[in-house]
Amino acid sequence: MDNILTIVGMQKSFGKSLLYSLPMFLISFMFLTGGRPDFSNPASGIALMVVFLFVNLLYFLMHYTGKTDRFRAVLFIIFALSLSYTLIHNMLEVRKSMSFNQADILECKIPFCHLVIPMMLLPAAFTKSIIFPGSIIGGFANISAMVVLWLGATLVLGRGFCSWGCFYGGWDDGFSRVRKRRAIKQISDLWKWMPFAVLLMVMLTAALSLTPTYCSWICPFKAVTEFEQVTSVESATKAGIFLSLFGGLVVVLPVMTRKRTQCSFLCPLGAISSLSNKITPFTVKIDKTACTECYKCVEVCPLFALSKEGIKEGEVSLFCSKCGKCIDACPKKAIHYGIRGIPAGTMKNFSRNLFLFVSFLFMAVFSSGPIINTLQGVLKLIF
Amino acid sequence: MSEAFILGLSSGSACLATCGIVMFPFFMAGSAGMKKIAWDLSVFLLTRLLVYFTLATLSWYFGQAIFGNPLVRTIVPGILYIMFAIMLVWYSISKNHNPVCPAKIVNTVNNHRIVPVFLGVVNSLGFCPALFIILTKGATQGTLVQSYLAFIAFFIGSSLWFIPLPLAGRIRKKEVLTKIGILATGLAGIIFMIKGLTNLIGGLING
Repeated sequence: MDNILTIVGMQKSFGKSLLYSLPMFLISFMFLTGGRPDFSNPASGIALMVVFLFVNLLYFLMHYTGKTDRFRAVLFIIFALSLSYTLIHNMLEVRKSMSFNQADILECKIPFCHLVIPMMLLPAAFTKSIIFPGSIIGGFANISAMVVLWLGATLVLGRGFCSWGCFYGGWDDGFSRVRKRRAIKQISDLWKWMPFAVLLMVMLTAALSLTPTYCSWICPFKAVTEFEQVTSVESATKAGIFLSLFGGLVVVLPVMTRKRTQCSFLCPLGAISSLSNKITPFTVKIDKTACTECYKCVEVCPLFALSKEGIKEGEVSLFCSKCGKCIDACPKKAIHYGIRGIPAGTMKNFSRNLFLFVSFLFMAVFSSGPIINTLQGVLKLIF
Repeated sequence: MSEAFILGLSSGSACLATCGIVMFPFFMAGSAGMKKIAWDLSVFLLTRLLVYFTLATLSWYFGQAIFGNPLVRTIVPGILYIMFAIMLVWYSISKNHNPVCPAKIVNTVNNHRIVPVFLGVVNSLGFCPALFIILTKGATQGTLVQSYLAFIAFFIGSSLWFIPLPLAGRIRKKEVLTKIGILATGLAGIIFMIKGLTNLIGGLING
């Protein structure tokens, strides 16, 4: 009987779930509408209301069912897809092409993305200049707004940013869910340090060339956003790298391994966010008294954050992105969201409610714009 | 002489940065202290000096025309980059797997004795703009000794930037830093491979 009570511990009644969802309902309404919903354009009005209700339904279901990851993933994946749609749509409207040329670079018309941040650090420190050809303030996806947003989210969520705020994480998260079983099971532990090696190389090469080398040469998501016009052997090589990395790390390997391989083996921003996991208030904790060492959490973790040795010690590594997959999978609810300084196994519900509110609000506010745009586009196509 | 020295000094930071993407992870990957790093650095610098002497001789004998040839400027560095890339990736893989191989060359690479030598060659033959200026200068010198002196001055100026590097050996290393260093060395190999292939294909297409 004790076990059953523990297992259903995160679920809430309908009324209680509704009550917990009310603050999210009000705040997201304010953020999405600015307090004054505009229904003058029917397509945008319908898109706004649908997205608002959809986002809040997901949050309600998180409380009602006690499950986190499956509802987070739905919004996270839609966010990634719709952001790519919005970016491509904007570029096709403005430039008539997904590629940018030297004139666009000189005019600083390139939208800024948070993945540039690691490359900016050394050149900014030594030359007091930003090596990305985007606008500092104003314009579409400006640098200062993105840096402030990322910094705030990282300080609060740590690597949770990678599962609750990243524009692109939804791509490999989505592909990692395609198959039910893993085709590749053995992956060396060494590879999980690769993002730090990429971070080191990206920082060194960016400092050397004073160009955002990750964007210019490595970023797999160039394949679904924008890329340099192919005019030379060099730009053709770059395009080849973008497509290969997207195909390999974002599509094929996640399908084969059921892991988020781009996030685990490449992303340099993930490496920085991992380090911030050491100071963030929210953590994932293991209650050793309840854990039966079944290692279901190790198997489902998409980012190699859990190991058998770590579970025995009751430790979650700094790679954890707080996605909640392990928490949903644990049959004894021994693994749970926690708050730094509060012992494992205590205040589970309070910690979860607080974490979900902060992280989901961030994702809802951040993702709603692109999703509304996409829905509007779809509605225009239909009608 | 002073002109060549200043030219070397001004372009040395770029040399350091080019080598930094290999040297930094390479020193992280090894278990080296100050002495070992100083030794590797000496080998690297000595190789550069030897290559510069060769270039000084060639530029004095043949004149600058040979180095102005686009094929020499793109295909030679391209091939060197690719060879160096293979070596770095090999080094990175062997550091993880420790294969037992009787071939001497495998052990030489695995014990990373050859990496600083090759880095010296690649760095010297990278044909940066400053090197082209000094090649032109070497080609216009009256005697071979004058050509050597110009290259020595250039070498000293550009090498000053590398002197603080052995201090990195004083940093106490954790095992995880070695792992990151090994992976980053492999990545540096991939970067050089791409650079080499781009140079080579670009050179062949554009003549």
